[in-house]
Amino acid sequence: MIRSFIRYLKGYVKIRIQGFSPERFLNMCSYHDIYIWGLSPAGNGYEMYLSIADFRRLKPLARKTHSKVILIRRCGFPFFLFRYRKRKLFFFGLFICIILLKIYSLFIWDIHFEGNEKWPDETLAGYLKSEGVAPLMLKSEVDCPGIVKNIRREYNDIVWVSASIDGSLLKIQIKENEDTLLNETGGKSADEKTSAGGKESPTDLIAASDGVITSIVTRSGVPQVHAGDEVKKGDILVLGRVDVVNDSGEVTGYQYQQSDADIFADTELGYRDRISRTYQQKVYDDRNRYQPYIRIGDFRISAGTVSNQYENSELSATEHQLKAGENFYLPLSWGIKKARSYTFQEKTYSEEELREILSGNFQRFCKDLEEKGVQIRENSVKIHLYADSAEASGILYLNERITEEADTEILTIERKETDESVRTDD
Amino acid sequence: MGKEQLGERLASAAGMPKDVVMKAAVLTALGNFEVCIENYRGITEYTECLVRVQTKGGQIRLAGKCLQVEYYTNDEMKITGKIESIEFADGRNKE
Repeated sequence: MIRSFIRYLKGYVKIRIQGFSPERFLNMCSYHDIYIWGLSPAGNGYEMYLSIADFRRLKPLARKTHSKVILIRRCGFPFFLFRYRKRKLFFFGLFICIILLKIYSLFIWDIHFEGNEKWPDETLAGYLKSEGVAPLMLKSEVDCPGIVKNIRREYNDIVWVSASIDGSLLKIQIKENEDTLLNETGGKSADEKTSAGGKESPTDLIAASDGVITSIVTRSGVPQVHAGDEVKKGDILVLGRVDVVNDSGEVTGYQYQQSDADIFADTELGYRDRISRTYQQKVYDDRNRYQPYIRIGDFRISAGTVSNQYENSELSATEHQLKAGENFYLPLSWGIKKARSYTFQEKTYSEEELREILSGNFQRFCKDLEEKGVQIRENSVKIHLYADSAEASGILYLNERITEEADTEILTIERKETDESVRTDD
Repeated sequence: MGKEQLGERLASAAGMPKDVVMKAAVLTALGNFEVCIENYRGITEYTECLVRVQTKGGQIRLAGKCLQVEYYTNDEMKITGKIESIEFADGRNKE
């Protein structure tokens, strides 16, 4: 297939050999490395195909073997061009086609993202656009290492990025950190620490709420509490200031550092959720208004109107934008606006519904807490029903991390006084 | 003839391929519709029902119907068509 295409492109001829000994001519051809194909006997000679370049070498062979070479047919692209050489517009079109192809291939036409789950394509494409990377940009201006660096800097939870140009497609492969969803808060505090690390400001850890310490693991700093201690909100748990003492046990200076510890405590949390027995429900009637439209750039063509005399109405719009490829949005979009009329109707919850709603809310609240890493030991939340409302209230007994960062107080030592006192002692 | 026999003995003793040492023709037949010939000297006759190929050891006669030479180069040729017989004749002189 490919061989015949190359033959066509280079051009070939069909010839007939006649004469005293056409076999000798064939053997001469093979001896001179002339490639022959489609050899078939015809009359008292042979017919065969050979390339244009080889055809030009035939003359001496024909003379030597006293045979006659008759050109039967010309095939291939060069002859095609020669036949239509007077069709100027055709050649002009061909030329324009090649030029356009070349010009179009200078641009990036689409961006393809791979491996992203948490960050949608649109967000990443939006970010890249803000960095000046968008479809229709020049391929030579794409800085793949720069894009990789920017994405890594912007998104902490993207652990690996690769940007490559595949034809006119910018391909961005991403590997996200799968653990980030679980301890997002931990990750953030670590980032803050590193950013504070540049300034070297010392920090204490203080209690964020009242509670009883259940476990304490200190990595840096001086712990001020033990497991079993009761702490109030704001108490210092770990001190970021380490005393430097001399041989006689006197404080001669301080070293400051950023405290770091895992401290868990039993805490209590009040919970209260109140809802009314009556509520307003939207009831839609069948009065609707539609306004379809087409938008080209900033110019919009629409039919109908959504302005109305309804007492209450809901306005919604759906819009689709035309795109070529995956992320190359064209400035053409269409959509429909819809106005829906509705009225309010007063309704009351039954006791069953009230219980369901309140317990549903409470379970969601507990789930949120557990997702944050808070352990719920027990709860005393009960549902109370009143004449016009219902309430779920009580106390949650939790076990949670209670540390909070605070700046360490900087102390200075008046050296001269201590020196004098030392002297008097002597 | 003695020289040829010596060559054959040498080739079998040394375990060398005979098509290289003795320039023996290599025929590869695919069914009865395709034959590939290597190590030949040239075509002596070619019609639709008979192809005679000269090799170092003698002549090969391919008889059949609608025989056609697909390609013909210095090293190899391919003949297609309905092949009925492949015959090894002992040189041009004895015909």
